[in-house]
Amino acid sequence: MSSPAQEFLRSATEKSADLAHRQIIRKGIDSYQAAFEGGRSRFLDWQDARRRLYEIKWDAINHLDRYLEEFERRVIERGGHVFWAENSEEACKYIADLALARGVKKIVKSKSMVTEEIHLAHALEKLSIPSIETDLGEYIVWLRNEPPYHIVTPAMHLTRAQIAALFQEKLGGIDSDDPQELVAAARRALRRDFFSAEMGISGANFLIADSGMIALTTNEGNGRLCTSLPRIHVAVAGIEKILPRLEDLAAFWPMLATSGTGQPISCYSTLVGGPRRPGEPDGPEEFHVVLLDNGRSELLGDAEKRDILHCIRCGACLNACPVFRTIGGHTYGTTYPGPIGSVLTPQLRGLNEFQHLSYASSLCGACTDVCPVKIDLHHHLLHNRRDAINTATRPWLERRAFQIFRWMMMDSRRFAFFGWMARLKMRALYALGLAGSALDPSRAWTRNHSAPAIPAHSFRALWRRAHGAN
Amino acid sequence: MAQTESSSRERILARVRNALLTPAARHAGPEQKRIFAPVADPLDRFQKECAANITECVLAPDLPASAAAVAEILAALPPGEIFVQDSPELRALAPAWRQSRSVRWSSEGGPREESEATITLCEALVALTGSVLVSSACGGRGASVVAPVHIVVAGLKHLVPDLDSAFRLMRERGTATQNSYVCLITGSSRTADIEKILVLGAHGPRRLIVVLSRSFE
Amino acid sequence: MKVSLFIPCFVDQLLPQVGIDLATVLRRIGCDVNFPEAQTCCGQPAFNTGYWGEAKPLAERFVSVFRSADFVVCPSGSCTAMVRNFYPELLADSPLREEAMDIGSRVFEFSEFLVTFAKAGEVAARFPHRVAVHDSCHALRELHLKQQPREVLRHVQGLTLVDLPYSEDCCGFGGTFSGKFPMISAAMGDAKAASAERSAAEYVTSTDPSCLLHIEGIFRRHNSQVRIISLPGILAQTASAGEHAADARPSRSAP
Repeated sequence: MSSPAQEFLRSATEKSADLAHRQIIRKGIDSYQAAFEGGRSRFLDWQDARRRLYEIKWDAINHLDRYLEEFERRVIERGGHVFWAENSEEACKYIADLALARGVKKIVKSKSMVTEEIHLAHALEKLSIPSIETDLGEYIVWLRNEPPYHIVTPAMHLTRAQIAALFQEKLGGIDSDDPQELVAAARRALRRDFFSAEMGISGANFLIADSGMIALTTNEGNGRLCTSLPRIHVAVAGIEKILPRLEDLAAFWPMLATSGTGQPISCYSTLVGGPRRPGEPDGPEEFHVVLLDNGRSELLGDAEKRDILHCIRCGACLNACPVFRTIGGHTYGTTYPGPIGSVLTPQLRGLNEFQHLSYASSLCGACTDVCPVKIDLHHHLLHNRRDAINTATRPWLERRAFQIFRWMMMDSRRFAFFGWMARLKMRALYALGLAGSALDPSRAWTRNHSAPAIPAHSFRALWRRAHGAN
Repeated sequence: MAQTESSSRERILARVRNALLTPAARHAGPEQKRIFAPVADPLDRFQKECAANITECVLAPDLPASAAAVAEILAALPPGEIFVQDSPELRALAPAWRQSRSVRWSSEGGPREESEATITLCEALVALTGSVLVSSACGGRGASVVAPVHIVVAGLKHLVPDLDSAFRLMRERGTATQNSYVCLITGSSRTADIEKILVLGAHGPRRLIVVLSRSFE
Repeated sequence: MKVSLFIPCFVDQLLPQVGIDLATVLRRIGCDVNFPEAQTCCGQPAFNTGYWGEAKPLAERFVSVFRSADFVVCPSGSCTAMVRNFYPELLADSPLREEAMDIGSRVFEFSEFLVTFAKAGEVAARFPHRVAVHDSCHALRELHLKQQPREVLRHVQGLTLVDLPYSEDCCGFGGTFSGKFPMISAAMGDAKAASAERSAAEYVTSTDPSCLLHIEGIFRRHNSQVRIISLPGILAQTASAGEHAADARPSRSAP
């Protein structure tokens, strides 16, 4: 059984060489980029808007206990139930027990990354209750039995031809790969499920403390059907999804949409507060909110890392990341890929096992640039690396190498001497045509680069010759 | 189940409170409160945004004209049941278009799976984004999402400039407290999950039509 | 104006001509250039890999080596960013904390220095070729340099500035990243090579010789027609070719 780090390296190697995959992703990202530029130009001052979101989230997270309690109180006032889950197991158990107790035979699901995090599908499978993904992208990867590729566009790695072939195999009656036809096919296939399921499960983009409502944004309408038709609605959300006031959505809705897909606002920005009221024509009879901790309260305690919890899961950092574009979402092997995943996963699931994610970055900073809530993502990666050195297991050879590096660099003559020796050796090695061979200490470099010309003299040697010592 | 619930709750809250004992740094705040420029001409902006997000916007001088417009829209749709919000205004307009149609009113329950279209009022229209604000008071939850066509009968009086004003309106009216459901609808249902190509009419309505009357008397 | 050269460790050992060219250009605009020989490395390789314990003494050493320098000029955006943006955090617990906060205002990336202190046209360079700028990540996002390298190139006689598609995309070097994840690093370099091929550029340059080292190795592996040149390398070129050659040869005269 290979470790997550080994699996990551294997998959990264495979994907880095996959030119076809890179081209598909590039096309998708370019299309997003164009939309994003347009969306951003609608704001009076995009940077100011980011600061506004930062402020609101800072308030929410730094007073989390107060807002969580207020949220709970109001949900209960509305006739809803609130369950606090410490971890994945507790969350899954609550939902599974509820489904069993209510005689649920079918579940329809709206897209929710947190339900991936707790592996809910697996828990429900054990009860033989079908849980059908209704978001088109999620539906597609669910039919393929693979995890979502991207937190906002789960099937962006597939071509229409692949999707058509998939639908033909699983649904039948597919004539072409016209996206219009494919969407219509999915609509037909899922419609009956919406009307016959006893339970709808959704995530929540935000939990609104002062109203006891959850905010849910979708474009397809599947989230609305999941929360309107079945008689039980369960919403699962991380405790960090809190926003203090309803009015905060006037800023968060457009920013989330612009950062996520480039739209001015999503098609359906919904607020759900409790089961149907007396007098309402339709709606669920029961409303349950599952609040998930799963390591978040611990992260909260690290003041340096606390703002990681400001994340609104927009996916902009994934789109901006050159590493994500190269290796794709599946390579990360985690619920949350991309920069936020690389920052969060080592914190939630352990630095020892997942530190490699924080190292798989050139620290280019594009993620920090685009984050709508101003999380300093690439600096968090740097801090994870520092923490890995201080607290986790690193290869002994690497620790030694940097001790030697430090020793060498503390003396300029020492540096000059060892530099000269190394150059001498490399010149000889390259001259003998051994670049890239097992004897080449620089083979990690020369495997992919033409061997560089190694100069005979260093700058300091040339300077000394020209100007004498100083 | 109740026992686990309360002790997990206590443990989580205790950890949260304990965590927050350490203060976190706070960066500079925004320079101004506005994030969008003020909307100069709400009706004009609303129409432009609708065109951009593919909401059909039909202007009518008065409610009877609205009713006629609705009749025209329905005439072009396949025969089949339509679902209508049971409100005095829509009851009053119904004769204009109900002859050839079987109508299910929201007082009878939610819309049926086979509904061809739904007709509702709205809480507000938002000019900044070309959006329609509905609540469960507008015929329930399914009324604005189940059928392939959703027709909104509205008046100029419903038009507000932006999101801030929409939320202010909701506060004043208690929309959020009185209803279990509120939805801000912008355009018809859509997806770009296949090769980032926009396709309309995913699981919600393919067509969203706002019939906007200058007067709403 | 007295200027001290901050020559990054890898430039000193692998790209000495960059340092020579830097000194040449600075002298041409009338600077009195010196090279504090005691300098070694700013500590970035250790810092970026998480070895802050090893980086800290190197940072303290750097601060003392350049303590009395009024102006420090560096031909690398990432090394400049290390000193300006990261020394305050790295040396937060150090007795040299105050100096660490201050030194950032005295250290400049090369194009930044020219745009701030040199008069327009003073550099008097000539390089009649089509040149594209690759925006190195540290220069762009840590130092907020975008216009500066383009501004200095605009004053170069005969030079045509051309667009590089996706110029702000990371080239994939990332220091130790290129050693730990060479396959990803190379793929990102490939994408940069593809952009260059599609552009009208004869040469690609950047504020960062480390990016250029990586890109050049990839370009030559691809047998690309596009060539790599450092910013000092371009600016050192003048109308009289003889002048440049003379500066490159170490002179035997006493200082």
